[in-house]
Amino acid sequence: MRIETCYFCSSKIYPGHGIQFVRNDSKIFKFCRPKCHAAFKKKKNPRKVRWTKAYRKTVGKELAIDPSLEFEKRRNVPVKYSREQMSKTVEAMKKIVNIKEKRERAYVMQRLRKAREIEKERDIKEVQRDLALIKSPAAGVRQSQAEEQIQDDKQSDEEMEGVEDCGEITL
Amino acid sequence: MTRQRRKKVHDGDTHLKRRWRTKRRTKDLDEINEDIKSENCEKLLNQEVDYDKPGSAQHYCVHCARYFINDQALTEHFRTKVHKRRLKALETEPYTIQESERAAGFGSWVEAKKRKIETQQPLEDSESSDKRMRVESN
Repeated sequence: MRIETCYFCSSKIYPGHGIQFVRNDSKIFKFCRPKCHAAFKKKKNPRKVRWTKAYRKTVGKELAIDPSLEFEKRRNVPVKYSREQMSKTVEAMKKIVNIKEKRERAYVMQRLRKAREIEKERDIKEVQRDLALIKSPAAGVRQSQAEEQIQDDKQSDEEMEGVEDCGEITL
Repeated sequence: MTRQRRKKVHDGDTHLKRRWRTKRRTKDLDEINEDIKSENCEKLLNQEVDYDKPGSAQHYCVHCARYFINDQALTEHFRTKVHKRRLKALETEPYTIQESERAAGFGSWVEAKKRKIETQQPLEDSESSDKRMRVESN
């Protein structure tokens, strides 16, 4: 008895579940449920369908390349039974699963942390761009204009005085 | 009054399902990926005369796995969107059963490779080989 993997979504298929399709070149495609089977029939690409494992790994949502993933494999080589080896492997399996889960969690957390930084940057940019929505650009324009006018008047007065002075000199 | 949900959601969509029936299955991308390899490609392009197939199996598009009735139809097909889309789809290596297992955590994930130049060349070969065949038959 084996726990198979679904061709489309890569989930586990327990005995008595799912459906198989044998292509005319004798390749066996196993599906966990009608949803996956229908998607296959429609020739959907599992790498592009968001809910599959293949998508999550291609896009980098999940831990994809790691030595902890190399342990579990279908080796198809018969091994002679020995009690000692069996007990050792069972213990090792537990450890490996622990390490794998830890690493997977760490990977996701790192990804999320990066996302937060990007979010912050985006927010700052948005505020700078749309500052007009918070504070009207016309706010305080009249006041500043009035101040400018006063200054202009003063300056012009001084200039006028200067001109008068100049006039006197020329005369 | 809100409109009530239709009870027969899949009523009258047999014409859609008919397309997916095993009877109407066409070659998958991973099968075509095998066909593209040079030795298989030559075999497919130089098939024996088979009167049951369109154009006696003499005008074949490897990428689309389709027979055409004559050379003109084949060259016209090369200019169509269907064919160009297929070429683009073949640019990345197709998804396999092994890949589905790797995605499930059996071994590390291997990124699908991209190929570029391979797409257009066999087409030209096919055209020339078809012409050669014609000359020989004449």
